[in-house]
Amino acid sequence: MKIRGSADTLRVSMQGSESALLTVLFDDFLALIEAEDEDDYRDDPVTQRLYPDGYSDDEAASAEYRELVAAGLRDQRRTRLKLCREEVTSGSAKIELDPEGGERWIAVLNDLRLALGTRLGVTEETELAESQPAQVYHWLTAVQDMFIEHLMH
Amino acid sequence: MSTPTLQPAVRPAEDTETDEQHDPDRPWVTIVWNDPINLMNYVTHVFMKVFGYSKEKATELMMDVHQKGRAVVSSGPRERMEGDTATLHGYGLWATIQRDS
Repeated sequence: MKIRGSADTLRVSMQGSESALLTVLFDDFLALIEAEDEDDYRDDPVTQRLYPDGYSDDEAASAEYRELVAAGLRDQRRTRLKLCREEVTSGSAKIELDPEGGERWIAVLNDLRLALGTRLGVTEETELAESQPAQVYHWLTAVQDMFIEHLMH
Repeated sequence: MSTPTLQPAVRPAEDTETDEQHDPDRPWVTIVWNDPINLMNYVTHVFMKVFGYSKEKATELMMDVHQKGRAVVSSGPRERMEGDTATLHGYGLWATIQRDS
């Protein structure tokens, strides 16, 4: 993956293997957020991480907060994910993004990293054991970092 | 950037009354907690986007989150803090609301 240009116009080019991987990750993540239900907020660490408690010390207020915002957060995630998904054509893809598009990409990449990183049990202290999902996580991190650096300068 | 579409939460009147009687002057705060996944430059970028903070201020807050484990990123009425928290949750940051201490 390469990014050229500045925050005004980001020109992203990716190889066929990268667009194929992103497509799989986008589809998996869409399936994940569409499958979640109320119980997941208690039982699934990924859903808990994507929809955190609003209050650290007040369960009732957190439940009320979640009722107010969770559906909106899910719509927001689904919408931006689908837009990115549509931009990634199969084979080597070239995407041109305005600043809003760049912001959308870093948010979607962050969603993917939150989901995968939580599944892998990422911590500050320990290095991830070598595995294919860990490689994907590190690749997403590098890609997101590249987007952010281009958007900030 | 995407426009936050979430409306600030509306509190039931009875709750507000109880809170007001409790301590009308003590505001609410939004706190961002350290987490091992969000990148440092991403957190800084989000603070600049969401709150319009300068790069210096956003970086300082991000370093507080990173080194002290948490930072107060905004303060004000409860409804507005719930709005800020929802916006930060939309970006994937780990944020909570509480009374200022």
